Amino acid sequence: MIALLQLVVVCFTILTVIYVGLSIYSRRIRRGKLRQKWRNGPRLVDLDSFVQRGLKKYDNSIRRKLILGVYIVPVGLVVMIIYLTNFN
Amino acid sequence: MGIIKWVFWITVWTVVAAFFHYTLPQTDIVRITETYEKRIDFGENSIFWSNADVGNNTTLGNRDVFFIQSRRAKGDVMVYRNEDTGWGWPPYFKFDTTNLQAEAADLKSTSDTPQYVSLKHYGWRNEFLSIFPNAISIRPVAGPDVSKGIPFLNIIILTLFVAFIYAIWVRWRRFKARRIDPTLERIEDDLAEKQGRFSSWMSGLKNKR
Repeated sequence: MIALLQLVVVCFTILTVIYVGLSIYSRRIRRGKLRQKWRNGPRLVDLDSFVQRGLKKYDNSIRRKLILGVYIVPVGLVVMIIYLTNFN
Repeated sequence: MGIIKWVFWITVWTVVAAFFHYTLPQTDIVRITETYEKRIDFGENSIFWSNADVGNNTTLGNRDVFFIQSRRAKGDVMVYRNEDTGWGWPPYFKFDTTNLQAEAADLKSTSDTPQYVSLKHYGWRNEFLSIFPNAISIRPVAGPDVSKGIPFLNIIILTLFVAFIYAIWVRWRRFKARRIDPTLERIEDDLAEKQGRFSSWMSGLKNKR
């Protein structure tokens, strides 16, 4: 059980670093795109509120939740390997 | 300086290649001749042995290990160990060691009535260290000349690894060209200028005398 705990703790730490990094990176990219869109657009509202509104929409989007795949994919992979190695 | 660089990188890549060669699965076509277990007292070679079966005490200095003796289709002999990798490294997540030993025992055969099997394993056999490759799975096959199949998993893993290294390398080169090289050049220019000033000052001294 200690070995399993060790694996879980180490993997969770590494994946959390990746998750946080990816989240920040993705949000920054989104912000840049929104700014670009505002500059090209008709500029009906000011830049800040346009970007804030866009980011709020992004926070509730499926795209944002896809980053959770950082946790789901490795767990799925491990389950698959366990099945293939031991029960196939 | 050039030779140090070469030695460094050759060493690094040799270690990387050895790591993959040890860890990635390989397939042998073998005929199992005997299965047995033997007590092993782990010493200098303990890094090349895995753990006790999952759930058992892992703090003891020795334990019984399953072995599978075989003759390969090529003609030489090979002895495999059969150990749980459990939740540790390498990530095969193998827990069915005892079942695998039962399968191996079931597929034992003599040279008169040979039964060949495709045995997947990782690791090295080295007589000087007394280390053995770890068997992962066994599947009966028709004969000694049967194909081993395309190692898709190894191809995928190595491709991903090369892509990862290439991505880092490209970014490093770009970073170096943009940030480090101009700075170094500036330092060199500065030095050259200072040296020029220094030597003219020296010659000035000489002329005064």
